[in-house]
Amino acid sequence: MEAAVDFAQSPTECTTISLSAPIWQDVLAQAMTGELLAAMNYTSLSEVCDDPAEVAEALEHAQNERGHAAAFAAEGRRIGVNVASNVDAKHWKRLRGAFLGCIAERDFIGCLIVQEIMLESFAVASYSRVGKVAPGSLGETFARIAAEEEEHIEHALAFLRTERARDAQRFDDKLHRLHLEVMTILAQMLAKECKDGHCEVCQTSCVKPSLFEVRLSAAELRGASLQQYLKTLDMLGIPGEVSLSWVAQLPV
Amino acid sequence: MTSLDFALIGHPESWRAAADVLAFLRGPELTPLPDDEVRDILPWIPPRTVCHVDAGSPIAGATARGLYIDSFIPPDRLEAANLRENIARVRAAAASAIHSGAKIVSLGGFSSILIEGNFDQLPERRDTVFTTGNTLTVAFIVQGIRKMCALEGRNLRNETLLIVGATGDVGSGCARCLAPLVKRVLICARNVERLRRLAAELQADGVQVEVATDVEQFSAEAGIVICAASMASPALLLGGLAPHAIVCDAGYPKNLSPGADMPGARVFFGGLGQITGGLRFAPDLRGILNRHPFPNVVHGCLLEGIALALEGRFEPFSQGRGSITPERVAEIESIAARHGIYLAPLYNAQGPVEAGRESGRLACSRRGVSPGGGSCQQQG
Repeated sequence: MEAAVDFAQSPTECTTISLSAPIWQDVLAQAMTGELLAAMNYTSLSEVCDDPAEVAEALEHAQNERGHAAAFAAEGRRIGVNVASNVDAKHWKRLRGAFLGCIAERDFIGCLIVQEIMLESFAVASYSRVGKVAPGSLGETFARIAAEEEEHIEHALAFLRTERARDAQRFDDKLHRLHLEVMTILAQMLAKECKDGHCEVCQTSCVKPSLFEVRLSAAELRGASLQQYLKTLDMLGIPGEVSLSWVAQLPV
Repeated sequence: MTSLDFALIGHPESWRAAADVLAFLRGPELTPLPDDEVRDILPWIPPRTVCHVDAGSPIAGATARGLYIDSFIPPDRLEAANLRENIARVRAAAASAIHSGAKIVSLGGFSSILIEGNFDQLPERRDTVFTTGNTLTVAFIVQGIRKMCALEGRNLRNETLLIVGATGDVGSGCARCLAPLVKRVLICARNVERLRRLAAELQADGVQVEVATDVEQFSAEAGIVICAASMASPALLLGGLAPHAIVCDAGYPKNLSPGADMPGARVFFGGLGQITGGLRFAPDLRGILNRHPFPNVVHGCLLEGIALALEGRFEPFSQGRGSITPERVAEIESIAARHGIYLAPLYNAQGPVEAGRESGRLACSRRGVSPGGGSCQQQG
């Protein structure tokens, strides 16, 4: 596979990227899969919204997520790799299933919790970390998309805080139930090693052991994601001791 | 926001302590996290409340409601190189205490750095006051020294006292309280200028004082040693210590290295108090957060906030550095005693010092294995 030349990058960066291109290819594949899944989730959400404004907003979000996926694909082309997504890969498929469970119940709040509080926390944290170490436009794209996803979270938080204020106990029960379902899957996905086989997104072998070559690690991505999740739960008003015990009980 | 009387801010003393808290929170159905996972995950946990703490007082009906907030500073990241990050963590913990509505906040261990000359680092406070708790820590160190001397049949008047970390808030407070009671004082710290200032202050009261930056210079001469240095990990060796010296390790984390070779020394962990009115933790992290061989034992710095809350004195009792006087120590002692807070039974890494007197005597090298078969090493 020939490495594409990016005139915005220095010769050193080009060499670095071409050597690490297979690693970035897998990182991009995971990110693109997540974005496409988010687009599917928002599209599904639009189908259960009653308010036309909410429908429009969900469709707009879906379009944004597709734009993010396209941006990641473009970054792959820029470094000379083909980025293949797989929304049917085992972890991602289960995450989609959890979201569709909320859709089936027409549970708008549940949908927001899964997508905005859980999946987007993971996206913001991991993209931010990648954005700090990835060279050139690759890093810039990850950082930019992390910032955009963070705006999504803030927007959803305002809505969810109002909802929680109506009936905190009921809200927290729902949140905990979805935490057990969704965060367990995410924790398995973010484990330092893929103990239960290939994730079905990485091109060949698991990318996690190679991440140190691009100054990343699976432990760091997991840690940052859990930190972002805890901070998001704090902003939602969940007591710190409660969210701490939830996270402590996740699989590793 | 529910109004609370107090908040206690701390950080794990060791990886074992951190692992035990996480294991408790995981519950008995789940296997504890492996050590490598604890080390990977803990540094990412943002400061947060870990449990609610209620404290009782013998004064009828007096109780105080509070929180324990952990800043989750990793035990191996207390060095100066991580100062900025650690201050940010303590600051976030302080913000959490303020947000919770706590009227008084005690800053345990490293956390006290936030108000030992760094007042501007505190978040906007509203109605919350902060105390380092160092005055009650000094009180319990001094009481412990007196008690140990009594147990050993030693007369303080005949003793040479060495204070390691003497220019710190706790060290200088101990110097002011004990200097008039001993024959001679040796003070040791890294900052020569601060040492000279403290020496001059003590000498003005007629105390015989010598200063050094190298502890080994003094260790052979001291009959009583207080270790009150801010150390990132237990690394103090105290080589050449006089036989039968009384050593109070008041550090958090502990100062004394597990490899310290102190044959015949009488070592105890200082600065600890016991609250007879009891502590109730929810969730019940009793004995996990306060890891001592006796119930209801807590570091003096944290107990100071509890004592002041029980007294209804929501004031920044201990702030700044180097302002702890014998008068202030006596005042906090009497407040604490009024609410059933006293010096904790003395103990060291091998167990209680008082019950089985020999169990506390480090006759073996601390590199070796204790007579009971347990390691002489401290956890860490």
